[in-house]
Amino acid sequence: MQAFDMHVHSAFSGGISSLEELASTAKILGYRGICFVAYPLSKKEEEILKAEIGRVRKEFGIEIYLGFEARNVKELKILAKRRKEFDVLLARGGDLKLNRVACETPEVDILTHPEFGRNDCGFNHVLARLAAENNVAIELNFREILVSSKASRAKVLSHIQKNLMLAKKFNAPVIICSGAISHFEMRDPYCLISMATQLGLELKEAKNAITKVPQKIIEEIKKRRDEKWIMPGVEIVK
Amino acid sequence: MKIIKRLKILPPTLREKKRFIKFQVLSEEKINYEDLEQAIWNTLLDFYGEEGVAKTGLWVMKNLWDSEKKICVIRCNNLSVQKVIAGLGLISRLGDTRIIIKILKVSGTLKGLKTNCSRK
Repeated sequence: MQAFDMHVHSAFSGGISSLEELASTAKILGYRGICFVAYPLSKKEEEILKAEIGRVRKEFGIEIYLGFEARNVKELKILAKRRKEFDVLLARGGDLKLNRVACETPEVDILTHPEFGRNDCGFNHVLARLAAENNVAIELNFREILVSSKASRAKVLSHIQKNLMLAKKFNAPVIICSGAISHFEMRDPYCLISMATQLGLELKEAKNAITKVPQKIIEEIKKRRDEKWIMPGVEIVK
Repeated sequence: MKIIKRLKILPPTLREKKRFIKFQVLSEEKINYEDLEQAIWNTLLDFYGEEGVAKTGLWVMKNLWDSEKKICVIRCNNLSVQKVIAGLGLISRLGDTRIIIKILKVSGTLKGLKTNCSRK
């Protein structure tokens, strides 16, 4: 199984583990690739992170991608303009306005935990339809389940179940990520698949959420790197 | 009068179909079997409740614990494999030691677990 974890935070972006620790754990757990997610950085910090990622990629022999996570609408618009400079664009869900803008923006690859810090699921049928149209994957964030307990975990699970149900109904892509900020929070792909099956996905859908959906995002990355690519849906054809 | 000491064994068709899950514990420090068993039971009971765990037919197999490689085998019924694996993913600590659980193989027989552990 060629699994990918597209949402991992390193010490560059509020995480506590180094890139090496995360990459080696991913390799041990059998991932084919991971995506280091950072919040928007200065040019100099970005250059350092890209150089580090290049070094770690060679050292561990797994695919490593660079993603940026927008925390508000302003950051999202800035990142969408310079979309060609990095691999994956994520929007940090939780804020209703950002959830809506993320689902409307075709440049966004993943809407992370739309229910984050909310008393509702932060996602409805309108957003599900928009996400399906613009190919924005809805994330099942395992860390949210892992770090919560008792009543808060029950609420998180209930919101995730509703989001998955809506995503399934409107054919919006679903992606499962660990959302780890430490290498000890990374999980075996089979544990992630099994958790998704407990939350309402079929086994095949859960497997696709960790293999095929990330692979599609990676295909888009490759297309975007091509000089002919201008923006989603617009390419130079000779 | 004849005293019945043991129940008659169920025929194979009526027996619960079992699955063995072999997994490895990744940690920086040594770990105890007792701590691991306690963590498995507590996590699953917290997540699924007593009724939910009763349905899995869970059995942590002490005789198959390998303390060197930190490999353990648990038994459950065939309908609860996903449930148990999801629960194992929620174990993040054994006391003060942080751990990750790596699933090695799921098999219907103990003999099957001994073969190559490559996953599909």
